[in-house]
Amino acid sequence: MQRNLFHVTPSGWAGLAFAAFAFLVIPAVAGQLWLSVFTSASCFALAAAGVAFMYARLGMVSLTQVGLMGVGGWVMLRLNHAFHLPFEINLVISGLVTMMCGWVLALPALRLRGLYLALVTLMAAGGLEIIFATFQFPNGGDGFWGVKTGSAAPFARPWLAQTPEAYLRYTVLVVILGFLLIEAHRRLAPGRAWALIRRSEAAAMAAGVNIVLYKTWAFGISGLLGGVAGGLLAGSLGLLDDATFRASESVMLFALAVVGGARYWLGVVIAATLFRVLPALLNNWGVDADISYVIFGAGLLHAVITAPNGIAGQIHDLFGKRRKAEAGEKGAGDD
Amino acid sequence: MDKSRLLNWLLYAALMALVIGLLGWGKPMKILGLFFASGLAVGSLYALGGIGMVVLYRASGVLNFSSGAAGAAGAMTTWQLAQWGVWPPLAWTACVVVALLATLAYGMLIAPRLAWREPVVKAVATLGYALILLGLVSFIWIDDPRSIALPTDKMAVNFLGMRITITRLIVFVASIGVVVGIHQFLGRTRVGLHMRSLANDRDLSALIGVPVVATETIAWGISGVLAGFTGLMFADLIRLEPTVITFMVIPSIAAAICGRLESLGLVLIGGLSIGVIESMLTLSPTLKNVRPIAPFVIAALVLLWYQRGTRLTFSGRD
Amino acid sequence: MKLKLALAAFAAACAFALSGPAQAQDKPSCGANTGQAASGEPIIVGGIHGNAAPGDFSAATDAAAAYFKCVNANGGIHGRPVDYRVENDQWNPELAAQAAAKLVNDTDSVALVGNGSFIEMAVNAATYAKADIMVMAAGCAISECFETSNIVSTNQGPLPSNVGAAQYAQEELGAKNIACIGLNIPNNGIWSCQAVIDFMESRGGTGSMALLNPGAPDVNSALLEAVSSGADTILINQPAGLALAILKAAEEQDLRDQFNWIAPTPLYDLSVPDAVGEYWHGHVYVNAELAPFQVNGPDAQNWIKVMDGFANPEDPRDTFAQAGYLSAKFFTETMLAMDPADVGDRAKVSEAIRNIKGLKSDLMCGPYYVGNADFHMPNHAGYMVKIVKGGYEIVRECYQYDSPYFEKIIALEKEMGVQ
Repeated sequence: MQRNLFHVTPSGWAGLAFAAFAFLVIPAVAGQLWLSVFTSASCFALAAAGVAFMYARLGMVSLTQVGLMGVGGWVMLRLNHAFHLPFEINLVISGLVTMMCGWVLALPALRLRGLYLALVTLMAAGGLEIIFATFQFPNGGDGFWGVKTGSAAPFARPWLAQTPEAYLRYTVLVVILGFLLIEAHRRLAPGRAWALIRRSEAAAMAAGVNIVLYKTWAFGISGLLGGVAGGLLAGSLGLLDDATFRASESVMLFALAVVGGARYWLGVVIAATLFRVLPALLNNWGVDADISYVIFGAGLLHAVITAPNGIAGQIHDLFGKRRKAEAGEKGAGDD
Repeated sequence: MDKSRLLNWLLYAALMALVIGLLGWGKPMKILGLFFASGLAVGSLYALGGIGMVVLYRASGVLNFSSGAAGAAGAMTTWQLAQWGVWPPLAWTACVVVALLATLAYGMLIAPRLAWREPVVKAVATLGYALILLGLVSFIWIDDPRSIALPTDKMAVNFLGMRITITRLIVFVASIGVVVGIHQFLGRTRVGLHMRSLANDRDLSALIGVPVVATETIAWGISGVLAGFTGLMFADLIRLEPTVITFMVIPSIAAAICGRLESLGLVLIGGLSIGVIESMLTLSPTLKNVRPIAPFVIAALVLLWYQRGTRLTFSGRD
Repeated sequence: MKLKLALAAFAAACAFALSGPAQAQDKPSCGANTGQAASGEPIIVGGIHGNAAPGDFSAATDAAAAYFKCVNANGGIHGRPVDYRVENDQWNPELAAQAAAKLVNDTDSVALVGNGSFIEMAVNAATYAKADIMVMAAGCAISECFETSNIVSTNQGPLPSNVGAAQYAQEELGAKNIACIGLNIPNNGIWSCQAVIDFMESRGGTGSMALLNPGAPDVNSALLEAVSSGADTILINQPAGLALAILKAAEEQDLRDQFNWIAPTPLYDLSVPDAVGEYWHGHVYVNAELAPFQVNGPDAQNWIKVMDGFANPEDPRDTFAQAGYLSAKFFTETMLAMDPADVGDRAKVSEAIRNIKGLKSDLMCGPYYVGNADFHMPNHAGYMVKIVKGGYEIVRECYQYDSPYFEKIIALEKEMGVQ
């Protein structure tokens, strides 16, 4: 079933419209507080896209994604304080380094599946949490770890995006590129290979699919997205703190991707919104931080129980006229 | 088959000896003993947490992230009752009861609605429950330095020049006792048989008339009691802070992984070894600052070791 | 909720009992003290605290809020009320940045007062410098709070308090080798433990540090590391919860009489003497960075009156609350001394705060000043107390800490003429 690479589905049009909205309207109307919130949310949307795509396309669960963001952010800060390269070059290197970390994670995936694979990735997240807590993030100090006391050295934002508004637009643009990257993969050879692997690895092997290559590739892409997301987050704050990258946050990001609906672009957006915008809203309304935990946990449980395809799945079912024909086609991408 | 098993055990013994030897080289025996004993206590707690998790996972297919939170709720209740001057044994029992109720509530009300989801989703859903419990506990008891004490903290035995409190001994003995007890329970009783059959194949068990719901409820109950006991001991031996007790589940999962989520004996050995190695790492000048990483590295290595040589070909069961 | 109230009422009662026969009927003294409610255009003042797991740092902003309420009921600042807006960073760096964006960039606040957090200062120090806004913090624990241009804190933070405790141990308890059990966080534990080692070396002794990961359950290894380091004194440089765990582990192994036990301010908390238990009574020396409750000078009494009159009953009455009260009081006094036309102008308020020097209170040993520098640490003298049954006993009155770290601070004080 060869489809045109550039065919735009209705869901895709909606995604593009939302992307345009996020790019043009939100930065123009949001105050400083919400600019900061939406920038964070965009970074986590990119990372969640990686988790969601692995889960929806390959049935593989990664509970390390936020930890990988930390790796990307670490590399970003390290490069920023060590050399004076442009932001974009640092961002690409952060993404590539994290991609390699993704490959390392792929090694167990060749032997493990389901819960066991998820647990290995959880152990990796736990290990990264300890490393970040022990060595912290570079802030302009000397030596390999680059940590000093006192105020952090300045962070060079991209030349194009010096103001918070411009930086949010910049982030949204990178996120859109990330979504398009996933969608392009889905429509080309890797997408077909992944679909086969998800069905049955034996069948995939029989069909001549290089399982090692494609699984590793998927982990690499997920790592790449996580790393770029971490780099962007570092750029948003100018520094990072280990509290952002706890193992429990990685579990939470996966849980929210399921709640949002891992198969749909909207699901990823919902996941990121729940992860960053909702807590900010509750905080802004003056809800006690402990009570927002309760609300958050209850909402998570409720959504997991009532919406098997995620919230985006429910929305999709409401709107999709030809949903039976197209349910299998719509993807995590924008077009 | 037996030969490879023996090989595994020899390899384990050799590795432990190597690690302890390398870390403890040139240190006086007394110091080694102190770190070893301290590691055993923490390791017993990891093991207890892991055992509760494995019992429940085998019977119901749920890996419960909320057992730490249930234990934290119990331990805080105990502290509160002690503040109010309640008779101490009643306060300790309350810890177990609260954890049991909190766990059963999830097991009976929420878990059945997720029964058809895949194991990972079931596992992460329990994290939502953990957040609810943790949020409530932190809301009721504002952050303040607290501690609970058991009378056994004051009693101690002297062993090779070290002073070891009875509480530490209780935890150590309890972790072994629980493994033996549950092993007997699974092997000798009808409910145990049901649990084993559920662990083996859920669908087939249901078909041949195993009372799935009742058996699962008992499993949730056992795990709740263990969560309460672990929470109480953790609060006494380590510290009484809800967040710390809640997130103790992550190293406990590491211990559970060492037993492949099925063998209780291996969970115990895994938990103890993790605790001892973590404690002994303090002796290494280069590694001492990252010592809490030990559970994760060990669990990941163990999991890879178990899976060596296997290939995934058919989808479905793990 | 009821429980929370009951606990708080209990804490309040304790604090009140300690404060002695204060004239509860008296009106507290705040700001211009006119007794008239302020009605002009509000002056916006911000505050950021961290309240979530693993700790609650909101006591200082609660106390500052109470003081500002009292000021508003007493003529405000030149007739204008203070609109005090508090944000919670929840120990999350992104929320901390968002709080600053909201308070500093989205609103015309003139200053931030009473901040108490473990991470907010590290995240936002650059934002404050860029916006030229001054932060009169009250609950600082990390180096950024003391070594940046726009933050000044009433509390001491771990470094001076550690050095103070070490100095007492060296002078009075005969300590020659101190093992500092700190958090494995560069800008907190390592920073403040290193200062103790430097201090001991400047006095011909030695020191070492044993570090603990904050999230790791096992505290005993760090204690054993300190024990096996050859030290004669153990400094527990930890938040109260972890410090209790360490003391408990030491009690189990009956280590009390083999070492001197000292600690910085976090162990000065009214719940601690009960929580540590009888075993430790009379054996743990704690540095108090503000005046202990039994000193009970006029400002301490006024603080209790402000809290009773304007704070919620469940707000804590502790050292951080005193620090928050002091920050708010010094801020108000500074604003009242300004030209009424300038009090709404951030740049002019920042200038006035930088010019603060020589403000005094019986809660603080030394004078409070700010100055125009890249570092601020006005409070570096304190008391030493001993944990006894039901409370604390003062073992040394106000004393200046003496360490190489304070040289540049003392030079600044000489230059400003506040010494």
